[in-house]
Amino acid sequence: MKQTNLPATSVTTRALPYVPWILALCLPLVVDANTSGNLAYCLLWAFSAVGLAAMWGYGGILSFGQTAFFGLSGYSYGIFTLNYGDTWFESWLGLGAGLVVSVVVAALIGYMIFYGRIKGVFIGIVTLSVTLVLETFMSQTAGPQWAIGEARLNGYNGMGGMPQLTIPWPGGPLTLENASFYYLVLILLIVVYAVMRKLLDGTFGLTLIAIRENPQRAEMLGVDIRRHQWLVFVLGCTLGGLSGALYTIWGSYITPSTMGLTAAAMPVIWVATSGRKSIGGAILGTALLVWLSQNLAVYGSQYALILLGAILLIVVLGAPEGLLPFVTRHLRRVSGRSRDGARHGRARIRQEEGKS
Amino acid sequence: MLLKPSGWMLLALTAGLALTSLASSAADPVKIGLLEDASGNFALATIPKIHATQLAVEEINAKGGILGRPVQLIAYDTQSDNTKFQELARRLVQTDKPDVIFGAFSSASREAIRPIMDRAHQLYWYDNQYEGGVCDTNTFVTGAVPEQQFSTLIPWMMQKYGKKVYTIAADYNFGQISAEWVRNIVKENGGTMVGEEFIPLSVSQFGQTIQNIQKAKPDFVVTLLVGANQSSYYEQQASAHLNLPMASSVNVGQAYEHKRFKPPALKDMYVTANYVEEVDTPASNDFKKRFHAKFPNEPYINQEAANAYDAIYLYKAAVEKAGSTNQDAVRKALETGSICVEGEQGKVCIDPKSHHASHTIFLVHVKEDHSVEIPKVWADVQPYWLGKVGCDLPNKPDHRQYTPSNLPKKS
Amino acid sequence: MATLSVLYSLIYQFGDSFAYLVLAALGLAVIFGMMGVINLAHGEFIMCGAYVTIIAAKRGVPLPLAMLLGAIAAALAGVVIERLVIRHLYDRLFDSVVATWAISLIVQQTMLLVAGPSLEGIRTPFGAFSLGEYSFSTYRAVLPGIALAILFALYLLFFKTNYGVCARATILNARMAQCLGLRTDRLYTLTFALGAGLAGLTGALYAPTMTAVPTMGSNFIVQAFVSVVVGGANVIAGTTPAAAVLAIIQTALTASYGQLFGQIGLLVTVIVVIRLMPQGLGNLFARLR
Repeated sequence: MKQTNLPATSVTTRALPYVPWILALCLPLVVDANTSGNLAYCLLWAFSAVGLAAMWGYGGILSFGQTAFFGLSGYSYGIFTLNYGDTWFESWLGLGAGLVVSVVVAALIGYMIFYGRIKGVFIGIVTLSVTLVLETFMSQTAGPQWAIGEARLNGYNGMGGMPQLTIPWPGGPLTLENASFYYLVLILLIVVYAVMRKLLDGTFGLTLIAIRENPQRAEMLGVDIRRHQWLVFVLGCTLGGLSGALYTIWGSYITPSTMGLTAAAMPVIWVATSGRKSIGGAILGTALLVWLSQNLAVYGSQYALILLGAILLIVVLGAPEGLLPFVTRHLRRVSGRSRDGARHGRARIRQEEGKS
Repeated sequence: MLLKPSGWMLLALTAGLALTSLASSAADPVKIGLLEDASGNFALATIPKIHATQLAVEEINAKGGILGRPVQLIAYDTQSDNTKFQELARRLVQTDKPDVIFGAFSSASREAIRPIMDRAHQLYWYDNQYEGGVCDTNTFVTGAVPEQQFSTLIPWMMQKYGKKVYTIAADYNFGQISAEWVRNIVKENGGTMVGEEFIPLSVSQFGQTIQNIQKAKPDFVVTLLVGANQSSYYEQQASAHLNLPMASSVNVGQAYEHKRFKPPALKDMYVTANYVEEVDTPASNDFKKRFHAKFPNEPYINQEAANAYDAIYLYKAAVEKAGSTNQDAVRKALETGSICVEGEQGKVCIDPKSHHASHTIFLVHVKEDHSVEIPKVWADVQPYWLGKVGCDLPNKPDHRQYTPSNLPKKS
Repeated sequence: MATLSVLYSLIYQFGDSFAYLVLAALGLAVIFGMMGVINLAHGEFIMCGAYVTIIAAKRGVPLPLAMLLGAIAAALAGVVIERLVIRHLYDRLFDSVVATWAISLIVQQTMLLVAGPSLEGIRTPFGAFSLGEYSFSTYRAVLPGIALAILFALYLLFFKTNYGVCARATILNARMAQCLGLRTDRLYTLTFALGAGLAGLTGALYAPTMTAVPTMGSNFIVQAFVSVVVGGANVIAGTTPAAAVLAIIQTALTASYGQLFGQIGLLVTVIVVIRLMPQGLGNLFARLR
């Protein structure tokens, strides 16, 4: 890694990566509560995409299972809060329960996959099968015998009526919805982004890339391939679970159709379109695509799905490395940053990552 | 970046509001929200509903609107996707603020948006047949329910064909609860269930099921199959020459299979529906004429279209009785029990206790060439079950859905 | 006589399930197994074949010819899609997920707008025969035979024709094939068209037995993907035993416990088989030879 002498980078270029976050933080002051709530909805899917980007972009693991954990976590939140009450403490415990369930199940499935030496596209099929088994099974749990404590699973009609997240507030517990829910999602997103960036830009990320590029060489260099893959899988799936819990909190509703074939393909579509090697790109791209899909449904009437398909097609053909890297690359070119000298070592790797 | 309205901007805003409110009261439209699938898996059955709603709104506006106010229809395409239902329901409730919302086809989509409606105390109408049991202060249902469809159909079939019954049902809430109703009614009438099979929604190949039915030798088969995948059963059982009469609450009237499948796939199918296009009364023929005048290429006017149409007129009657579109007042007007319409499907009245509608039930018989005859008609069939088990919405507010095995708690 | 009819019933169910899995998988086995393109629009090629068959048959074209037309129409659609979209993605095959998904969305929705939510179908040919207390559809009893015939024809195509040799060479090592003078781009187009045509043939064969709606292809997708992946890279020696194994398990479970167990059992079998044989079944046969 060549350490080049850094010429003074201007304050604006160093501050640039923080601008989107600052904008996002100030947004609820400008727009009304409903728009904030809607933005929060668009953003909550981003966790699932970030998890998949980490698994796929860095680890080379294409998993169709994000929605399985989405559903598992959502149902866990529902079962926990419907059984144990809806005070603010219990609602947060419910969120934790959802995440714990995701971690445990991901660990088990990951163990079966990676320590069973399943590779490549087979991982995709195995995770897809798991998702579909869950969906088929949950769809038929309509009868009264399918209840965990007070919470009826309720089959295809879905489980509803679970309480929202609340926080203690002077004057009574404050329900997190609209603008306050938006801040919750945003804060979680910032935390997840920071953690993922640190992990993936550091040794862990580089090891994953090494494993992805040439597993045998990595193994010969002493890397425990399976443990790294297993770890990133558990991390990625748990993020999918976080999306699911937040969705259930947002809508007070979870249904098996969130684990169906179409839903299972969506995270893959989002990540592939936004650029799977870019975490920030995954966040922005996913939020943008969810928002776009919504607005097409409102304004595009019966042509909505055709337009969505056309946009996806154009993006994937025209921007091979993904939407965000494409945009930043062109912005950089436009702002005249073609000077090769001013690159930090790690930034160079990230840059080359985008090219491959 | 922080926008604080300056002093005179606030003044301008207030002035503008005052001016608009002065001019608005006469022409303030009645806003009707519509959440239906114009695309996706369910569009087949829901596009007639959308068209029926548009027809009703157009007719009402031509006659001067509701209480002299024009009706504005705000319709969103929910793409047969539950998450779209949630997103667009929120958008409707929070941004468009309609006076009433109609919509949803599958029970899952209804259950996805009912919490949103309840949280906003939004008046909401569900115009589809379903498994019954929704006892909700804010919800009114014009769709048919099992006690209306099965307590008419099953005894009639047992009397005509015999007492041994085999049920094949879609393996989810609607199928399971409907099958439970069938089971109970068969037992009450002294029959036997010789078999019951539940089929996951994604299955489209029924070889084994057909063999099982042949082995059990029933007198007739109750088919409660839902969706395009499962509808392949009819062609497959016809090509295997199963030759058994079929009874259903959910075919013909909703997805007009008798027009879409090649004869004799649906031979001897008996369906109880609250309306089919083949109903030959003066009111029905007039309705069909007006419908086809606006939508000449409509493949079929199904019972959900008739329900959606009547629902708009029921709402209009309630608003006129209440004298305003205030949602509480309209709700109270609907709970008086005197809100009825008499149209293409006969008399439809809202039952105060359960917020469901009474219907005329037509027994539809599909013949070998897929032509339709209506051997029997039951008038004024009440949605009695919810009231019987304790749902009493005018006096006891509620938000839940009950099933025969999950009854309201006796208080 | 009773046991014979029960036994035949099981054989019939197995054949039915096997035919469904194999026919669903064949087109995808060529496109995904051979070329590596993850084709999420596979269901739409099937739908295309089915729709063209139905429209042709209703205009009076005899059924076998109508089915052939359906397959050819799907193959032509495959050529168009390959030339316009897929050929730009050979160096980044994962992006074919998005591209084919987008195509699938566009085609399904366009079909809905153009042809309406449903098309009146055609009758299943041939009638029925009975054995004991069961009666069987003759057409469906014959379908496994048709599937095997198609497999045999594919075998002849890949191993006994010039195209077959060139195609296999290109898939194995494209650069070498190019150096030896093969027109790889033309071969890719032909192979993709072959895969699309096979999918169209599946749609055509199943058109008389199913409801014709724009989303009918999604019935086949899961079965196709699991059969192809469980079978491994080999189109004939992989997909066929994979379909056979999955069909046996699905038939046994459905006959004993019902459709729910059959569906879940199929998926669980896939997981177990992949866990036990991470390279797919095809590899097992390759190694045995």
